[in-house]
Amino acid sequence: MSETPLLWFLNRSTGITLTVVLSLSIALGVLTLRGRAAGDGGARVPRFVTQSLHRNLALGGLALLLAHVVTAVADEYVDIRWWHAVVPWGGTYEPVWLALGTLGFDLMIAVALTTAVRGRLRHSAWRVVHLTSWAAWLAGVVHGVMIGTDLRDPASWTTWALAPIVLSIALVAIAFVYRVVARPTPSTPTAPITALATPPLGAVPAGPGSRR
Amino acid sequence: MSGSGGDAARLRVDWPACKAHGLCHELLPDLVRLDEWGYPIVLADGGVTPAQIADARAAVRACPRRALHLT
Amino acid sequence: MTAPASERDILAHAGASPISIEHHPRIEPGPALLRHTTHAHDLRAHRLRHGEPPELDLASLHAMAGAAAVQGRGGAGFPFARKLRTAAEHARRGRRPIVVVNASEGEPASAKDAALAEVAPHLVLDGAAVAARALGAREVHVVLPGDRPRASGLLATAVGERTDARLTWRVHDAPARFVAGQARAVLELMAGRPGLPVTAWAPEAVSGHRGRPTLLSNAETWAHIGLLALEGIRPTLERGTRDEPGTTLLTLHAAGTPVTVVEVEHGTPLAPLLPALAWDAPVLIGGFHGTWTTSAALAGAHLSRAELRERGVGLGAGVIIAPGPDACPLGLTAAIVEHLAAESAGRCGPCVNGLPALARAVRGVVHGVVGAREEAARLSGLVTGRGACAHPDGTARLVASALTALAGEVAAHADGGCGAGAAQEVAS
Repeated sequence: MSETPLLWFLNRSTGITLTVVLSLSIALGVLTLRGRAAGDGGARVPRFVTQSLHRNLALGGLALLLAHVVTAVADEYVDIRWWHAVVPWGGTYEPVWLALGTLGFDLMIAVALTTAVRGRLRHSAWRVVHLTSWAAWLAGVVHGVMIGTDLRDPASWTTWALAPIVLSIALVAIAFVYRVVARPTPSTPTAPITALATPPLGAVPAGPGSRR
Repeated sequence: MSGSGGDAARLRVDWPACKAHGLCHELLPDLVRLDEWGYPIVLADGGVTPAQIADARAAVRACPRRALHLT
Repeated sequence: MTAPASERDILAHAGASPISIEHHPRIEPGPALLRHTTHAHDLRAHRLRHGEPPELDLASLHAMAGAAAVQGRGGAGFPFARKLRTAAEHARRGRRPIVVVNASEGEPASAKDAALAEVAPHLVLDGAAVAARALGAREVHVVLPGDRPRASGLLATAVGERTDARLTWRVHDAPARFVAGQARAVLELMAGRPGLPVTAWAPEAVSGHRGRPTLLSNAETWAHIGLLALEGIRPTLERGTRDEPGTTLLTLHAAGTPVTVVEVEHGTPLAPLLPALAWDAPVLIGGFHGTWTTSAALAGAHLSRAELRERGVGLGAGVIIAPGPDACPLGLTAAIVEHLAAESAGRCGPCVNGLPALARAVRGVVHGVVGAREEAARLSGLVTGRGACAHPDGTARLVASALTALAGEVAAHADGGCGAGAAQEVAS
């Protein structure tokens, strides 16, 4: 069954593709919440578009991840059992890097499940789980670089696998910086107002018109 | 078709939850406008006609903060 | 004309309440609640005067409150009997109700609840106890005013004296904020969270503290209920009018007189309540969320919520502010709106953004800025109904009433002058 390396090729390709797809999804997730809305808010692309793209790419990535897990388990060349897909210990093939991949998968399942039942959760609870997607991404990327044969050894960094991974890392890094640095929608002050700038007596207040 | 009120579905905003992301306005421009700070102004007392229900539900699902409610 | 305060003073005080809390109001003796202003007020003296309250079942209490047309005294004027019934109906589904006494008195210009804490605390607590027993509630929560230490201490002492069987009393300290007295804010405080308003998906009488039916009323409302229970309905029906029996507490601010709490029978003519001079200028009725009005608009008016409502005036929590002809009502309005903007809980976008903008617009009206009046009117409409509580609505109501009832003053300011005697434009 495993004489042909088909499963191995599928496993590697789904791994690389899902990294790109999920990185795009993360970038779109950050883009949804920064800046103003379309229409009266002035943005060019409506936020509900970025939001659905974010969600659809995430679902696509999850589907690829399932294929990635299935091909890894099915491939008899490496001893990966089905429970290694969800339990991050006990693996015999590259146990540490495999566990990272498993961790990423577990977190992604949690994110997907909480989003599915989002209406029943408090927003703060949903959000905490959702934020672990960053950790899931990181676990997945490290898993991919270290467990695979394509990227672990710098000598092999001339392969085709390098470009999409480097681009994905760059994209998510930029998204992360933007998320941390860019202020949320400007109309939401975080502290109660304690003093107001009333116009000083005799001065012309900024605003419509002037004093006659 | 009568306007808002009665047994018709009504849109309500959970104001402390709303953070002015504006997706509700994007998906329901006829029912939700935005003020100068980006917060929703719900028109027609929030009344949603049957023709608008599907879009209204989409807007409720789209809100990143779950601040829009259909009651 | 006095020299204007320095710019730094204005900026430092912008946001502070232009009317500070009166910790020692004058309390005039009244016909019902304020009958015993000079006597002892501990539980023993109270029992000697009034005896023990009867065990009233729900139907009797409901009938009595209905016949006496008891309306909430916290500002909204909601019929107490209806609230009692709602709580009772939702209690039948197996959740034990709770009674809450709201004595937080967040409105700085009001002093009536503090007055009750001083001269009739056990009337308040008897009312709550009677309702608790009628409802089958086992807990009564008393919310104390965070910024009135004297009243808070007196009320807490009274709670400590209670000996009601099968009732547990708990006290809470409301934060010293304007919005802390709002019903949901009180429930949040009781739940151990910050005492600030949140969105209510059902009235608290349906689902309040821990999801249980919560009968939350103002301290004065409870005092009226207590008196009804102790005296029976007849004395109340003999006071006031047929449609509005009984009395109401008012806090009167008139320039040149000390802050006074009075008890007035419904139907009493309004004019004699204030010194004659006070009526030469506009009067603010209903406190910081109230309505400006003039003696012309109130000619022949009586103390009646219904009658005042017909004249476009809301009695609110019974605060009447008469700055007199020497003060600028627009300046006072601007200072009040600045204070209310600073008192926003900071949770709802339209309030957090809209009220400071509204304050700037009103200040612009004071300075005669072209377009400020229209901007103030626009912003009033913009913030109304768009918050978790009625703080923006009340503020908008104040501004809208200033723009209509004080139209003459607005016009004078637009021309660079001021109708007030001292032509003051300072923020206090």
